Amino acid sequence: MGMVAKSTLMKWHYITGLILVVVVGIHLAFRWPSYEASIEWAGPHGVYEQLMNIGYMIAIFILLYAATYHAMNGLRTLLLELHQGKYWNIAVDVVIIIVGVFIVIVGTVALVGALLTV
Amino acid sequence: MAEKLSTKRNPPKWSLWFKGLDEWLLIFQKVSGALLALYLIGHTLVISTALNFGHPTPLTWERIIGLIEGPQVIGNVHFGAIIEYLVALLVAIHGANGVRLILMQYFGLGLPKPERRTYPMVPSPMKKPQVIYKYLIIIVVVIFIALASYVAFIG
Amino acid sequence: MSSAKADIKVEIKRRTFTFKVKRYDPKTGGYRLSEYKVEVTNRQTVLDALLKIKATQDATLAVRYSCRMGTCGSCAMIINGTPRLACETKPFELGTDVITVEPLSNLKPIKDLVTDMDDFFEKHKAVDPWLIRKDEKEQFEQLDTYYPQTEEQLLNYLEFSYCIKCGACYAACPMVFLNKNYLGPQALAAAYRWSADNRDEGYVLRLKIVDSDNGVWSCHYSGTCSKVCPKGVDPALAINLLKKSLLTGKPPAR
Repeated sequence: MGMVAKSTLMKWHYITGLILVVVVGIHLAFRWPSYEASIEWAGPHGVYEQLMNIGYMIAIFILLYAATYHAMNGLRTLLLELHQGKYWNIAVDVVIIIVGVFIVIVGTVALVGALLTV
Repeated sequence: MAEKLSTKRNPPKWSLWFKGLDEWLLIFQKVSGALLALYLIGHTLVISTALNFGHPTPLTWERIIGLIEGPQVIGNVHFGAIIEYLVALLVAIHGANGVRLILMQYFGLGLPKPERRTYPMVPSPMKKPQVIYKYLIIIVVVIFIALASYVAFIG
Repeated sequence: MSSAKADIKVEIKRRTFTFKVKRYDPKTGGYRLSEYKVEVTNRQTVLDALLKIKATQDATLAVRYSCRMGTCGSCAMIINGTPRLACETKPFELGTDVITVEPLSNLKPIKDLVTDMDDFFEKHKAVDPWLIRKDEKEQFEQLDTYYPQTEEQLLNYLEFSYCIKCGACYAACPMVFLNKNYLGPQALAAAYRWSADNRDEGYVLRLKIVDSDNGVWSCHYSGTCSKVCPKGVDPALAINLLKKSLLTGKPPAR
């Protein structure tokens, strides 16, 4: 990663961290009052109701992208700190980008599809 | 100067690091971060599968989630719920400590202003703002545990 | 025994301590433990004890020292598990009868308690730790001018200028242990000390080396460096202030 200064990567790491505190808080708050009820499809606290809630779904989209950046950058930092040589560094960069893009695509497809068909 | 030595460096004193809270928080942040990153990958895949990759039906949802949640373990609380509870706990501590680090390094909150030395010399990790931060983390996590326990086990 | 002044009583106590010295042997490439019993007073330091051992028991013990008053930074070593200056540590105040003395960690050993400080000083040089002005000749030709500085501007960097380059923070840092190319707390504190000085105009020159994986971003705030610094320099604070400048884009303390 010679193009981007480390401080830019870390700046976004911290910004997504703060964003995550808010959206993960919302995501966890929607488990109230009962976790078991919030993972059923039907019911007043069920998944269907959560999909219908536009504000909550916006938070979930933000959560997906912010968490992917934060987690991938974090994983990259701690894997690179194992210092296993030049080829390890290149491999870590490649795998991180692939996994990150994969998560974003799978998540976006599932959520957008669910919002459109339900 | 003499030629570069090829000897290995002296080994570190682990005892110096075992008795410091900041050192443990650093290790915890990294380990919990790695675990949570793996959880993110798994959770996204599970939920996307349960939503049938864009064509959700109640049947696919209930089947996949039922599979993941596993058998009922305590009362009517499923095994998966307990795992998620522990993950949420990791999130709370990682997040609270992370907010401390972000506020410190981005905004400079909690960093004492450099000043003339006074004796006894107190290093900044031991000064008041840092101690306040750590107590706040503990309070936040305790409140979180109380709320999460209610949601998971009682609700 | 009391001093000449009538109202100050200085009590001299004597005790025999056992010093377990971990010594590096360059011939075998390994370490051995030498045990010495030496009697010291409550006013003497570990350095005094080591020199007494050298003078009376074992002349082959290699120790680096110079000022013996805590200002040169030569005698830093690991005493009872913590990197400290030997001339500022008194055996009576350590609280144990057996005192372990080892050479500084994270540095290559030369012999006994002496370590090679080349890497340490090279990393220090790499951050350009001197006053950089845009006009390079100014300091040599315009000798009738001076750089004014208020007390407030002085306080921005004063604490970090007390560094005596002893290497205790470098030995205490876990990230130096994990990353051989990490600049280390001393070099980064020096980079901050010069960048925060209002007379210096070279902050951007130091950016490239400081804003890298081997610069500030290897520091994860374990705080051990500040805890062991004998001069109260607080490198952890300097590194965090440096990170703040890098993240916000504003030069330090302006």
